[in-house]
Amino acid sequence: MERRHFLSSLGAAAAASQLPLRGDAGGATSRMTLLHTNDTHSHIEPFGPGNGQASGKGGMARRASMVKQARATIPNVLLLDAGDTFQGTPYFNQYKGKLDFELMSKVGYDASTLGNHDFDNGVDMLLEAMEFAKFPFLNCNFECKGAPALGKRLTPWIIKEFPGFKVGLTGVGVDFKGLVSTENHKGVDWISPEETLKPVIRQLREVEKVDLVVLISHLGYDLHGDAIDDLHIAKLVPGMDVIIGGHSHTFLDQPTKIQQDLGETHIFQVGWGGINLGRMDFALSKGQVRAASGRPVPVSALAAAAG
Amino acid sequence: MRLEISILALALALSPLACQKAMVAPKPSSTISQSENPRPAPQLLQAQTMGVIQDFLDDPGIMTILAPKQAEIKATFDLPLCACPKGLFRGRNGEENLLGYWVTDIMRARAALLIGRPVKFALTNSGGLRANLPAGQLKVSDMYGVMPFENELVTLEMTGQDVMDAVKQGILHRGSEPSSGVKLVLSGPVDKPEFLITWEDGAAIKPDEPVTVATTDYLYNGGDSIPALKKGRRPFTTGVSMRQMLLDACGDLAKAGKPLEAPALGRYKITPELYNAARDHKLGH
Repeated sequence: MERRHFLSSLGAAAAASQLPLRGDAGGATSRMTLLHTNDTHSHIEPFGPGNGQASGKGGMARRASMVKQARATIPNVLLLDAGDTFQGTPYFNQYKGKLDFELMSKVGYDASTLGNHDFDNGVDMLLEAMEFAKFPFLNCNFECKGAPALGKRLTPWIIKEFPGFKVGLTGVGVDFKGLVSTENHKGVDWISPEETLKPVIRQLREVEKVDLVVLISHLGYDLHGDAIDDLHIAKLVPGMDVIIGGHSHTFLDQPTKIQQDLGETHIFQVGWGGINLGRMDFALSKGQVRAASGRPVPVSALAAAAG
Repeated sequence: MRLEISILALALALSPLACQKAMVAPKPSSTISQSENPRPAPQLLQAQTMGVIQDFLDDPGIMTILAPKQAEIKATFDLPLCACPKGLFRGRNGEENLLGYWVTDIMRARAALLIGRPVKFALTNSGGLRANLPAGQLKVSDMYGVMPFENELVTLEMTGQDVMDAVKQGILHRGSEPSSGVKLVLSGPVDKPEFLITWEDGAAIKPDEPVTVATTDYLYNGGDSIPALKKGRRPFTTGVSMRQMLLDACGDLAKAGKPLEAPALGRYKITPELYNAARDHKLGH
């Protein structure tokens, strides 16, 4: 393979691409990397030709290779998904989401959440597919009184501990109304995430005393209206450092920073279909983000082709 | 240029030095309350270069699981359908949804065959058409890409007023939903738009005229918020899945030796300003 010289440090990439990177001359004691996907929609294989800029990109096997190498070279990594794993290719029609979750487990996802399309075959079939998932599904705004089996499978929040610091993660889903037929979410009710997130964030920050609060959201980045989306929720519920978003299939070049009452929230979403792997990096001191940056990383064979 | 950008991003993804410039001498621990400890002012960090070799081959562990499934999928889903020389696209940023026009034309024709009388109007949802059709020889998998859902074709009995309301609600609630059988011109100011909806031949739609309509069970059952469809009487769920309907239509074209071609432009005429307002739910009623 041809050897190339690349700008490769985060600082280099940030400077070269005009990416504003917040930094502090002193104070950072730990670093954390979040890798993430959203709305993969059963795109287990790369996009074929004729798909414009997506052609040749994506694919679980290549994503797995990238994640594996990242984990081998970066100390503290979490791999997250923001929902809508289901629906979109014959793989879903054939394997009903089981293969998606099996492969995600093999890739090593640490957590996911549920999107509206994950209910496309109803709650029972969702549960059948979830049997193949070896990672938690984070959600704090679905009330599952009529679907207790799903309720048991959902986790409102988790803590991930790393040497010297802790990361708290939670998840929220989008309103079913107009998106999921009542039959397909039978027994599961949507509650406004503004209401349900506040105590969770308080718990993570004040009781668990995590250093980084991450929301995995399937609300959508900007719904162009009054509906609660990522841009709204960041301000409505202060205290979240990061929102890993999905639902709106938004291709962001870099995280959006929102000022809220307790600091800044970094919102990121990387399109759909597994075209990109999102990456966000944080330099942390106790309870504070000292520096942060993020980029979509194309899941592409370009580097291999260069050889 | 595109190669360079991508490689830069790959390097960013995997460099063990990532964030290293941000890792500086530790300060004493702060409390968790950010409000009590405001974050420091932003500061752009220095660039540096290093050599990287990167090679993202398919992960063998994943391929072990995937390979037999791929073979199963290909056996069915790689079967050829028909030619589509120029592709068929949903349109972006207010462009007309030619794929949606084609699908709704097929819905009308198939529904008419099923119930044995003319179907004057068909409506589907743009959000339910999940992919474009690429240019070239279409495969079965392409149609699964367009219509992955298990939705069915439904016929309804409505009035002319219901039809106009359904088209209007498709604009107001969802930006635009494709249909067959009518023409729409949306004009005027954002706060007081004028909806001119006629039959496809330009004839006026009489509010009280009975109309047989084709749609999907998803829309009829309230998906994507087009309440006018709920006024439809005598709903008939045909048992024909939307996807099978499209597969059959492609099969018919292949048998006839014809390519799949895009319907004509001009069915919906919406100015960019009004389209953007509709998308942002800022269009007046």
